[in-house]
Amino acid sequence: MFAWVWALVVGFLLVHIAYLWLGERIAPDTDILALLPVQERDPVLQQAFNRMVDSAQQRLIVLVGADDWAQANRAADAYNRVLAHHPDLLQSTDPMTDHRDWLALFQSHRLNLLTPQAEADLRSQPKQYWVDIALAKLYSPFAGVQLGAWRDDPFGLFGRWVQARAQETPVRPRDGRLFVGDGRRQYVVMPFTLRVPAFSMAAQQAVIPLLEQARQAAHKAVPQVEVVAAGVILYAAAAGAQASLELSTIGFGSLLGIIVLMWVTFHSLKSIALVMLSIGIGCLGALSVCWLLFERIHLLTLVFGASLIGGAQDYGTYFLCNRIAPDTSALDSWQLLRRLLPALVLTLVTTVIGYMGLALTPFPGLRQMAIFSAMGLIFAWLTVVFWFPILVLTGTLKSARVVNWCAISLERWPLLRLQRSGLWVAGLFIVFIVFGFSRLGVQDDIRLLQNPPKNLIDDQIKLGKLLDAPTPAQFYIVRGATSEVVLQREEMLKERLDPLIEKHVISGYQALSNWVPSSRAQAAGRNLIDQTLLNANGPLAAVAARIGEDAKWVAATRAHLRATSSSLTPGEFLKTPASEPWRHLWLGEVDGGHGSIVALRGLTHGSLPLLQHAGTGLDGVQWVDKVGEISSVLGRYRKYMSWVVLLSYFAVYGLLYPRYRSRTWRVLAPTALASMATLALLGMAGQNLQLFHVLALMLLLGVGVDYGIFLHEHPSRRDAIAWLAVGLSALSTLLSFGLLSLSKTPALQAFGLTMLIGTIMVWFIVPCFRNDPTHPSEYRTEP
Amino acid sequence: MKFWFMACSIVFASMPLWAAAPVAEIQSMLAKPKVLCGRFDQRKQLAGLKKPLASNGRFCVVADKGVLWRTLEPFPNTVRLTRDEIVQLQGDRVAMRLDAKQEPAVRMINGVLFALLAGDLGQIEKLFAVDSTIHDNSWRVTLKPHEPFLAKAISSIALDGGAYVKNITISEASGDRTSIVFSEIQTGAAAMSVDEAALF
Repeated sequence: MFAWVWALVVGFLLVHIAYLWLGERIAPDTDILALLPVQERDPVLQQAFNRMVDSAQQRLIVLVGADDWAQANRAADAYNRVLAHHPDLLQSTDPMTDHRDWLALFQSHRLNLLTPQAEADLRSQPKQYWVDIALAKLYSPFAGVQLGAWRDDPFGLFGRWVQARAQETPVRPRDGRLFVGDGRRQYVVMPFTLRVPAFSMAAQQAVIPLLEQARQAAHKAVPQVEVVAAGVILYAAAAGAQASLELSTIGFGSLLGIIVLMWVTFHSLKSIALVMLSIGIGCLGALSVCWLLFERIHLLTLVFGASLIGGAQDYGTYFLCNRIAPDTSALDSWQLLRRLLPALVLTLVTTVIGYMGLALTPFPGLRQMAIFSAMGLIFAWLTVVFWFPILVLTGTLKSARVVNWCAISLERWPLLRLQRSGLWVAGLFIVFIVFGFSRLGVQDDIRLLQNPPKNLIDDQIKLGKLLDAPTPAQFYIVRGATSEVVLQREEMLKERLDPLIEKHVISGYQALSNWVPSSRAQAAGRNLIDQTLLNANGPLAAVAARIGEDAKWVAATRAHLRATSSSLTPGEFLKTPASEPWRHLWLGEVDGGHGSIVALRGLTHGSLPLLQHAGTGLDGVQWVDKVGEISSVLGRYRKYMSWVVLLSYFAVYGLLYPRYRSRTWRVLAPTALASMATLALLGMAGQNLQLFHVLALMLLLGVGVDYGIFLHEHPSRRDAIAWLAVGLSALSTLLSFGLLSLSKTPALQAFGLTMLIGTIMVWFIVPCFRNDPTHPSEYRTEP
Repeated sequence: MKFWFMACSIVFASMPLWAAAPVAEIQSMLAKPKVLCGRFDQRKQLAGLKKPLASNGRFCVVADKGVLWRTLEPFPNTVRLTRDEIVQLQGDRVAMRLDAKQEPAVRMINGVLFALLAGDLGQIEKLFAVDSTIHDNSWRVTLKPHEPFLAKAISSIALDGGAYVKNITISEASGDRTSIVFSEIQTGAAAMSVDEAALF
């Protein structure tokens, strides 16, 4: 009956998977940020971060540099020629926008636009200073061709403002291209827009070889050329390629290992097929449920999920081992199942609890891994429970020689007794633990989550330096009831940042108020100009006297200047194409108010506390350090999960107590000791404790307790079947997680390594804690 | 951006000091001394001003070094253009300094200058349409910008001369107009005064 229901479920499962595979053509997600925690408490913060990331996602910037400009141009031409054949993948972003056009909007508001330095000069410089500037501009043959006629900007204030805006980037137009230099080399800057999604693996496989081809073409044109590229797609492609490789290594490695193990143990193809069936249904079930829940699946989930193969086979193996045991030959398969069910239920529950540790973290990627693994186990388990009794009939499997080896090894395995040798062992163990723990440091660095190839990081750093680009991970969020309030608050923040620029803590900032000052600031600027420069006895009148013009001319010029004093609003600016590079800074209406981002250029790690301090105490200003935040989340959860692990031991104890009573400690102790020993070994190996070690200990609890349960279900010392099940289970776990520990993602590596060491430890310690048959008081058979 | 336009204008202004035509003939008519100094008289007619503004001063062009442009009347103002920077001096005060490291236009100007000295007019032709006429020993050239963004600043530049440039007129899109007349040309090492040499 249940078997038929399960067949129906598996049928649905297959249809769903077939639909996903053939209909939806699903591909795993390679978004490198999927592992980062979501900021749930503050949607504005999350939105701001997304804005910063999204503005970069579809961009690719390539710098082609050589010793001189002509060579750089030649190399850039060669590079472009390759890409020009594929306008469907990459589109060159036209760098030569019309500079006069972006100025047109500001021209009509120029009396309101002042740099902070010009404002200070207006307050402090004498009249003669301004007269000199105006006259120099009048007579110089070179100063004429600037930003319009002399009388549009007689004191050069608007010119200074435009110059300040131009200096927000070191990139300059040159011969119809964009240029940047570092004193040593000259680079052609080529911005591209990706026409295909950066996180699509198909897109990555098309774009990456194309870029490599273009790079080679550039090298061929100019052998000593330097090509620096940066873009989200490069990271995504590197992460994707690495994860795909690991996925197949772990997947095929553990499958192969399990087939060999099954063959050696059971000498039957049927047993292999059965275990593969439970693993297969487990994996498909995991995939199906994950897709229903998340509507996507991350490639790293699959890498981690590949280690599931080792875990999912436990139940099938346990059943098969017991089927070949001599004392069960009288039972039919359903009776056997009934006898095994309590242990099977306990092992499933404890392991799922172990995986739930991952689900308790705020990292969406880890949650997905936890759900995937737990679902995989549940599906494999249900397959064993519903189908194996039907598929495995009495006497279809014979015990192999392995069972005898197991019996012998178990008999000779030392038992821990309360005597002199036992105390010595305990003493040495304590010394070992204390020493190992004392060497254990901690590490909560964001680099645990992703570890891109060094050349990509080098390129990114180089490009960031050359272009003086702002960092996407650290910035300020400014909030206010209206856009005017936001701009005013930005200006207050900038007043605090200006001294930091002078001290070279940062090289600059990007803010919308750089382009559109608050109405208050615009009014203050134009009043200051009016009072200082345009009054009846001011510099304008003095200039008139020097060039032989009269009071009428002064009045006409003043009126001409004042005609450009209407206030500029963010809305007006954001509508123009010129605002494109800055639009992501303006969050607009969010959360019942308005918000914006102030981004920083030329940031160094050491200056973070100073910058955090600069933002404190200002209304509506919030310092965001995504890197620091993630590190602190990692640290917080490392501590939090350590407690969860500890409490889980009590929970599992409670879960096991009704069945094992006074022997419960014997079931649990090997795992606890193995966990401690693992930590001590990690400490001695110079590893730093991180969240992922702790999460692995959580899973180790789930897996290790299984071994205790298996052995204590079969308390007889001669019963090798349980020991065989433990051995098979441990070997396949070692295989899966051992392969996971080869992962290049530090988090998965730490997880795999901990599981590898821990599982070996539990495996070897577990038989030491069997019941001591010389103490019959503890020997009690359970039904 | 301002500097870019300004830098361009310097190129255009200083360019005719050596040569100004793509035509090899004009090129061959020009003397190419190592040092060239002289007097300039400038008249500017600006939008919104009734009277033209007259000024005069001295200029020097030194091969491989750069240009010195000194306005002496009605008040002193000096612009020095060397390989790595453009400096504007108002009296002794540095009113403005443009570094080639920050503004590649500075290098471009020098590139154009040195290209001109070498007789390579490719750079000029890239930016301007050149229209030239020759009469006996004198020539006349009109330059009109190719690039729309330059055309919005400059409508045309006209120059004429013989062995040296004699006149230059810059007509800006805004209606402002600058005419410069060169005279008292001297060449050779002695052409430059001691204080001028000190300014380089």
